[in-house]
Amino acid sequence: MVERSQKEVWKLTPWLVLLLLLGNFVLMAFDARDITSGQRIVRVWSQTVADFIQSPVTTVSSLLWNYFGSISNLRSAQSDNDVLKQRIQELEVELKGKEDLTSENERLRGLLDLKEKSKYKVLTARIIGRDPSVWFDSSIINRGTLDGVKLNMPVVTNGGLLGRVTAVSPLTAQFDLITRDKSGLGAVVGEISNSDVLGVVVGTSDDDIVEMRYVPGTANVEPGQIVYTTGQDGIYPAGLKVGEIVQVDRGSATTPHKILIRPSSAVNSMQEVGVLLYEPPPKIEFDQKLPNAVKPEKKR
Amino acid sequence: MEQVKITVALIIAVLLQWTLRNVAEPFAYIDFPLIIVVYAALQRNAIRAIFFGTFAGIAVDALSGGLLGSNGFSKTLIAYIVSELARRVYMDNLLLRIPVIAGACLLDDLIYFGMHRLLGQNPVGDVMVTIAYSLIGTTIAGTIIYLILDFTLAERTRSRKRDLLSTRRQTRRRNPIRLSK
Repeated sequence: MVERSQKEVWKLTPWLVLLLLLGNFVLMAFDARDITSGQRIVRVWSQTVADFIQSPVTTVSSLLWNYFGSISNLRSAQSDNDVLKQRIQELEVELKGKEDLTSENERLRGLLDLKEKSKYKVLTARIIGRDPSVWFDSSIINRGTLDGVKLNMPVVTNGGLLGRVTAVSPLTAQFDLITRDKSGLGAVVGEISNSDVLGVVVGTSDDDIVEMRYVPGTANVEPGQIVYTTGQDGIYPAGLKVGEIVQVDRGSATTPHKILIRPSSAVNSMQEVGVLLYEPPPKIEFDQKLPNAVKPEKKR
Repeated sequence: MEQVKITVALIIAVLLQWTLRNVAEPFAYIDFPLIIVVYAALQRNAIRAIFFGTFAGIAVDALSGGLLGSNGFSKTLIAYIVSELARRVYMDNLLLRIPVIAGACLLDDLIYFGMHRLLGQNPVGDVMVTIAYSLIGTTIAGTIIYLILDFTLAERTRSRKRDLLSTRRQTRRRNPIRLSK
């Protein structure tokens, strides 16, 4: 083995630093070029390796969390018990009415021959890791390609839309929130069938606010209205709840409204989320046969 | 042996960075790999420190939503700067290491943020708040970790202290003024 003197090491170090910095910069530039849809092999393998550590740590910590949580909950158990007893009595009355309605509904459905059909399959997943850097808010879930998860699939909670899958390994997947500044989705104010107030929701880098753009300034929009996805972005299906409007900076006939929305879902540690196994319909190919599709060659 | 121990410490730091944010959000403000990279750089082994910086940075980036290589870039640069500083200035004192880790954390955050802005990415949250919390968290955690590392890893320091103590005793015995009394 060649022993290097201290002087040689000092001479060598700046060149080595330059080389490593250059390598890192190339990696960054390559990653930045296609960050929205790219799948990097380094990420895939690191996530697979990290899963063997993250999953047990999450399991143990959530067990401990639940154990201590249940002890602290015992304090308020007596008062909760009284409230719950009263609530049960109210619900029993309500339930009786609901049962009548359900049987009536089933009977009518049978008459109309309607079949209950779920639109998209939901895959339940648990968050096993959060972004190790404080500057970003992506999360890692314990479902991967082996479970049928693919790139760009929507991630939801019972509150509504959370984000989309940005990297997938065989055992895990990483997703970004809709609050990230590079995210965007087609949205509508109110139910899609009753409203024509369309726009694009983009992240603001603020972790609890997104902005809706390109809504005509003449449209009637009020704080408190709910925003849903339109399905026109080719990533998210229609009808998912995005959030509630919290602020509207009025536009005019020529300028659009500036609408701020508070997302209905937020990420907490060790939370359960759902991955919609939804694949958008294939994009319609550009029709080359249309008369204006191909530019006529210039005559010389 | 000391090299192996620091390498193990770095691997543990990366694993902690991967997992602890999911246990409690405030852990995100502690940069464990940076603490170990700066510690390695303070040992005056520049080559080991810069390789540590690159490895730890890319390992963190791989699970992050940020750009791949951005942490690698900033930590490599920090490792080089600190090792150059340690070569010129005597910094084996814990009190002197506190401003070093604080400065390294500040510089690391600024480089990381700057590289992202340069390449058209916008990190989440308020920059000043994130940097301030990160600075406080990493400096406090760094000071504690350096104390632990000094007690567990630095055999060289312990032996040096032993030598130093024995020399003092010898000097006292040979002190001409004392002998004359």
